[in-house]
Amino acid sequence: MASTPLLSVEDLKLHYRSSRGVVKAVDGLSFDIQRNEALVVLGESGCGKSSLAKTLLRILPRNVHHCSGRVMLDGTDIMALDEERFRRDVRWLRIAMVMQASMNALNPVVRVGEQVAEPLRVLRKWDRQRAMRKAAEVFELVGISTDFLQRYPFELSGGMRQRVVLAMALITDPELVILDEPTSALDVLTQASIMNVLKRIKRERGTSFMLITHDVATSSEIADRVALMYAGQLVEISTAGEFFRHPAHPYSKLLMASVPRLRQEQRPAHIPGQPPNLLAPPDGCRFADRCPSRFQRCAEDPKMFRLGYRRQVRCWLFAEGGKRP
Amino acid sequence: MTDARAVASGAPTGRGLTRDLRRLTGFTLKRLIALFLTILVGVYLTILIANMGGRVDDLRMVQIRGDVSETVRADPAFHDMSSEERNELIQRRVDLEVERLRLDQPFIVRSFDYLYRAMMLDLGRAEQMHSDRGAREVYWIIVERLPATLLLFGTANFLVFFVSVFVALSLSRRYGSPMDRTMIALAPTSAAPGWFYGIFLILFFAFVIPVLPSGGMVQAPPPESSLAYAADVIRHMLLPVAAMFLSQIFISIYSWRTFFLIHSSEDYVEMARAKGLPSNLIERRYILRPTLSPIVTSFLLMLIGLWSGAIILEQVFNWPGLGTLLFQAIGHRDTPVIIGSVVIFAYLLALTVFLLDILYAILDPRIRIGPN
Repeated sequence: MASTPLLSVEDLKLHYRSSRGVVKAVDGLSFDIQRNEALVVLGESGCGKSSLAKTLLRILPRNVHHCSGRVMLDGTDIMALDEERFRRDVRWLRIAMVMQASMNALNPVVRVGEQVAEPLRVLRKWDRQRAMRKAAEVFELVGISTDFLQRYPFELSGGMRQRVVLAMALITDPELVILDEPTSALDVLTQASIMNVLKRIKRERGTSFMLITHDVATSSEIADRVALMYAGQLVEISTAGEFFRHPAHPYSKLLMASVPRLRQEQRPAHIPGQPPNLLAPPDGCRFADRCPSRFQRCAEDPKMFRLGYRRQVRCWLFAEGGKRP
Repeated sequence: MTDARAVASGAPTGRGLTRDLRRLTGFTLKRLIALFLTILVGVYLTILIANMGGRVDDLRMVQIRGDVSETVRADPAFHDMSSEERNELIQRRVDLEVERLRLDQPFIVRSFDYLYRAMMLDLGRAEQMHSDRGAREVYWIIVERLPATLLLFGTANFLVFFVSVFVALSLSRRYGSPMDRTMIALAPTSAAPGWFYGIFLILFFAFVIPVLPSGGMVQAPPPESSLAYAADVIRHMLLPVAAMFLSQIFISIYSWRTFFLIHSSEDYVEMARAKGLPSNLIERRYILRPTLSPIVTSFLLMLIGLWSGAIILEQVFNWPGLGTLLFQAIGHRDTPVIIGSVVIFAYLLALTVFLLDILYAILDPRIRIGPN
């Protein structure tokens, strides 16, 4: 079982410069993704989920202050590649992405077929016909009529556009697809059908996914493993079954308790307080202020404690000799 | 009944293109009709206003009577006439003149006649001015000056436009660099108009260091060979073009830079970067192409806008263009020339707008196809 993971991230950091100081959006993340595995990265808004996705593909904004860490893709450190090599060899061919706000992710003046076929034409130097044929294939795969190849983005509905963006991410048969809130702007029916498309692609093509979302319910559809982020750090990473049924970290428990369920007697709980300011995150555990099981050691910064097979929790409760709940 | 696979494998853009062309034609026709009506209304309003709704006719009647009386009285052949006979003669001549100018008809009737003639670019004859070749037709007076203006302002604008767009594009890539900061700092220099810089340029390059001519379009007498003539015109153009360039370039770079900065943070630009497209392709297809309509608009509107700014600059550089002409016409109170300039301006404006509409439709599928 000790095969090299497809993607392994070690101590990834991304800090932004802002007028009020350095924002630590991603602060020392480590995780891995196996082949044909879907990792769901959960977290509240502003916890650094999207920054994580951008760091992996190196599409950093202008105000980057610090970016470091190791990202091993199938054994090679892609963070060490120079910009041009990274562009030619990694972007889209090996790691593709469905961006947040995909409504605006398509160039308004270029036909969607062209845009979907573009990575093949540019990166693989395919001729037009061949690339368009492949585009038609992925259009069918994600469930859009190939008639839409000739359309412009504004002629498509939101759900259609989302599928086009998905098709664009799949056209190069990448090993890993990062999906950043792919369905959060869509209605429930469209969400469900897109999740079904994702599941089918995972089954048929063995693609790995990293699904970034705040939507616990939808993510449970596809998740093999779940990584929960809080204030720029991972607080828990475990298999989906364990996470959804027996969350370990106090934040995970509260999060799961806040998900509304059908025919639920009590009202969904909410977590009191606000996430800490990423400009100056508190010393010690970052969740301590909102944590119901807070105790003395929480003033120290906890590390990730191993808790069973491929399961880690950042909480003193799970430290050797720590206070068990 | 459409076979989707045929599209994908056969002619990939064929059908999309015909659909676009059909809509483009419809769009063009609609715009053409709308613009024609606009010019019609605009020119008619100009005629009404320039004639003060017919009040100018009264002034012209007085002027005709005055002129005729003056001629008759000054002519020695009529000196021995009795005053009655002379008044009769004056009246006859006035009536003749009034009939010739059709001032006996109501103004509203004539206004449509003026409109028709103006629309046909039959601008009538100047009252006092004449073209350099001696023609009295307003049309020729104006058309003779047009190339000089177009040459000077066209050159300056092309320079400013292309230099600023490309400098701005490269600055937007180097946000916050020393070069970027310098350009921002220089932007306020554009507060001074071109002619202001012109005065200093003339002072330095024509008088302190006399290397360039201080004004005019060509030396007198003009060079014989056409090559030498062109070279001389270019020499004369250097200073006015430099003046306009200096006064506009920095603000232009500044505004384009901001424009490109905004548009290069669009989601689809980020997406293009993530897709691994090379940066020149991103710039061309993801930044320039979606923003081409506003770029073209500002380019053409800048061309039009300079028409009004031309008067002073042309005066400063003694450039024989439309600005100088208009200045002289106002000095001579030569109404047909003034109206004629306005009519030609209206036509140029409409032509520009039409061109813009077509360009919009070609450049932006959202306008071409639009919501039906």
